[in-house]
Amino acid sequence: MIQIKGLSFLYNDSKEPALNNINLQIGEGEFVGIVGPTGAGKSTLALCLNGVIPHFLHGEFYGEVKVDGKDTVENDCARIAYSVGSVFQDPEAQIVSTRVEDEIAFGLENLNIPRIEIAARIKESLEMTGISDLRDYSTTQLSGGQKQRVAIASAIALRPKILVLDEPTSELDPKGSLDIFNTLQKLNKEYSITIVVIEQKIQLLTEYCSRLVVMEKGSVLLDGPTRNVLANQEILQKIGVNSSPVTRLAYMLKKEGLYQGEFPINVEEAYLVVSKVLSEKRR
Amino acid sequence: MPAMVEYIQTDSFFHRLNPITKILWTFAVLIISFLFNSPIPILVILLSNLLIALASGIIKQVLPMMKALFIFSFILILCQIFFVDEGKTLFYAIPYFNIGKVTDAGLNMSLVMSFRMVATVSTIPILMMTTPMTDMVVVLVEKLKIPFKYAFMFITALRFIPTLMGEIEQIMQAQMSRGYNSDTRNPFKKMVIVIPLAIPLLVSSIKKTEKMAISMEARGFASGPRSYFRKIVMGKADYAALVLLLTAILSPALL
Amino acid sequence: MIRLNNLCYQYKNGNKVLKNLNIHIKSGEFVAIIGQNGAGKTTLLKQLNGLLKPSQGTINVCGLDAAKTKTSILAKKIGFLFQNPDHQIFCATVYEEIAFGLKNLGISHEDIEGLVNRAAQRVGIDQYLKTDPFSLSKGQRQRVALASVLAMETDVLVLDEPTTGQDYSEGLEIMEIVKDLNKRGKTVIIVTHDMELVAQYAKRVIVLQKGSVLEDGPTEMVLGREESLALSNLQPPQAYLLAKKFHKQGFFKDVYRVEEMLDEIISYLDGEENACNG
Repeated sequence: MIQIKGLSFLYNDSKEPALNNINLQIGEGEFVGIVGPTGAGKSTLALCLNGVIPHFLHGEFYGEVKVDGKDTVENDCARIAYSVGSVFQDPEAQIVSTRVEDEIAFGLENLNIPRIEIAARIKESLEMTGISDLRDYSTTQLSGGQKQRVAIASAIALRPKILVLDEPTSELDPKGSLDIFNTLQKLNKEYSITIVVIEQKIQLLTEYCSRLVVMEKGSVLLDGPTRNVLANQEILQKIGVNSSPVTRLAYMLKKEGLYQGEFPINVEEAYLVVSKVLSEKRR
Repeated sequence: MPAMVEYIQTDSFFHRLNPITKILWTFAVLIISFLFNSPIPILVILLSNLLIALASGIIKQVLPMMKALFIFSFILILCQIFFVDEGKTLFYAIPYFNIGKVTDAGLNMSLVMSFRMVATVSTIPILMMTTPMTDMVVVLVEKLKIPFKYAFMFITALRFIPTLMGEIEQIMQAQMSRGYNSDTRNPFKKMVIVIPLAIPLLVSSIKKTEKMAISMEARGFASGPRSYFRKIVMGKADYAALVLLLTAILSPALL
Repeated sequence: MIRLNNLCYQYKNGNKVLKNLNIHIKSGEFVAIIGQNGAGKTTLLKQLNGLLKPSQGTINVCGLDAAKTKTSILAKKIGFLFQNPDHQIFCATVYEEIAFGLKNLGISHEDIEGLVNRAAQRVGIDQYLKTDPFSLSKGQRQRVALASVLAMETDVLVLDEPTTGQDYSEGLEIMEIVKDLNKRGKTVIIVTHDMELVAQYAKRVIVLQKGSVLEDGPTEMVLGREESLALSNLQPPQAYLLAKKFHKQGFFKDVYRVEEMLDEIISYLDGEENACNG
């Protein structure tokens, strides 16, 4: 679904490349989380997937990015928008309309979709994101979490196969953040939309994503199934990427020589791990 | 705050009218105000504006604007009323020295000018407060053939006003928390004092516009021909309103 | 140090945001205020330095009546760090940015230099004093903002979601600085959504729910109140939830940090070993 080969990018006004020889393959229906410290190039990578780079933001672009079979250099943003939906960090800055319906219609109108079709798509994307009750709201009365779900609905109205989100929960409280990830999970499971999400909240990422990509200084440092990536605790801690408390506990037990095995990603799994540690010692 | 012109959602007769009808209404008010040369008919138009605002449930927002307009027009009157020489002298501003002559023609002209300005300018906030911006864009582009980019630029600027107001508030509070004090009488200091507010506002609004541009670009903005979800049609009420407007325009000729 | 009596606040439209708050914060405390968005956390913070004035009730801050005192005066007593450093940075150099608050307080030029240097050193940005703050990373800009607040040497430091929008290590750096300041006696009041940070740093937690105090007490007590937290859509830290699963079997006391959980496990195992040997 996404193929990135030898991608490097240098912004016009900077000396250091923002991305440095990225190679990444993401298959259909994957739910991928991207983590890394600030300045790792995560946002730049997201902008390469939706074609904003190189069509709107310019710089030196090397390598190849293909989304849904489309080369992002040969296809403009509008054509890529049919394949890749985008959601950004700031709920305030990505909503252009004063009514929810108009906001979802915005992308469809830009791509000249007929009026009757737009009405059907609005209904559909409101249902898919579980916010049909917000249909007649004014966008100014919504909470941050609701605004972000409207932004997701607006992105999926074009029926993209891929959804790219750049820190969608950073301005939300725990409840709002959870709502976003539940919505993403639904889109992924029920509609097999491929999800790529950049996120700082590691507990959410480890519980929802099947695959993690860790970036640092413009490169991909680690990439694999969530558990396998979490097994590299030394590297993660060295570059300043946090892990869930239960994952860190398993790592501490490992260092004490009390545990060998997979890293838990939630409290239930950690319960099994600690039980095992206790019972093995008892024998 | 008089600077805030935001759409106010209520279900009124005037809200439901086609934006075209409302735009024609603002023009009708303009034409009629210039056809008459005596204050009473223009005052009637002004009162009709107030009546519309009252019926649309926006009178609370419109009244302070009207007040500001009247103060402004009063200053304009003071600037010219004493220079009119024709007509019968009514009184002098400073009686014993016969300074500041006010004639009946001068008074008439000043009142006409003042009412005319308030009547015509006040239609604009009434129009904006009763018409959703997207509807406005649809008619501007489809009916009045204004290029979409310009129409969109116009409404986005309006949509940003409340956001920027919020930003100013936060910046103000952040600086006040560092002991910044904005009330000074010294006029030189007044010039310098806006810098701690202006620079963060500039920086954050540039960042916000860039973010918005990227989000629009990713949804295929201005990529080619465009369709519109909202369909704006002329209803019976619109035709009735148009007939009414036409009669009003023709009435000075008939009187 | 800070005392709120029956404090109420409502917006002009009649919306009640804070209802009958009675809070007393003593010198040297480290208080975390948690709750959902819209619970009134930020509104409460803004009462402390007079940005908002109470509709009813009284508020006393370091001996001043905050309801009647201007923010520019309260700034001498309360340092306030906001979530977004870009809402305050405007100077051409980091030095001037840090000095801004001191100039506002009318401090002499000779004293300003020492205070700026000390604040910059404390947050680790002394090498950037001549740099343009806009060329720094967001994490560094937040530390510039923190230094500009610290330079005023207030008794109380108030932080409104200081780690939001920062990556993990940037957030941790800010929290470590704050922890150190608290150790030296500064009173700290912080609003955050991050329960792990609360467990790690705060000594006292106040849960706000729809403008009222739902819980107020030592961190260890409040973070265990699952029902109250659930009402605010918050979850106790993972270490607490994990330890609790073993309570039924009679193992472990309540813990809130995984480091404590590790200690519990090790001391349990040691106990077993001793039992076997004996």
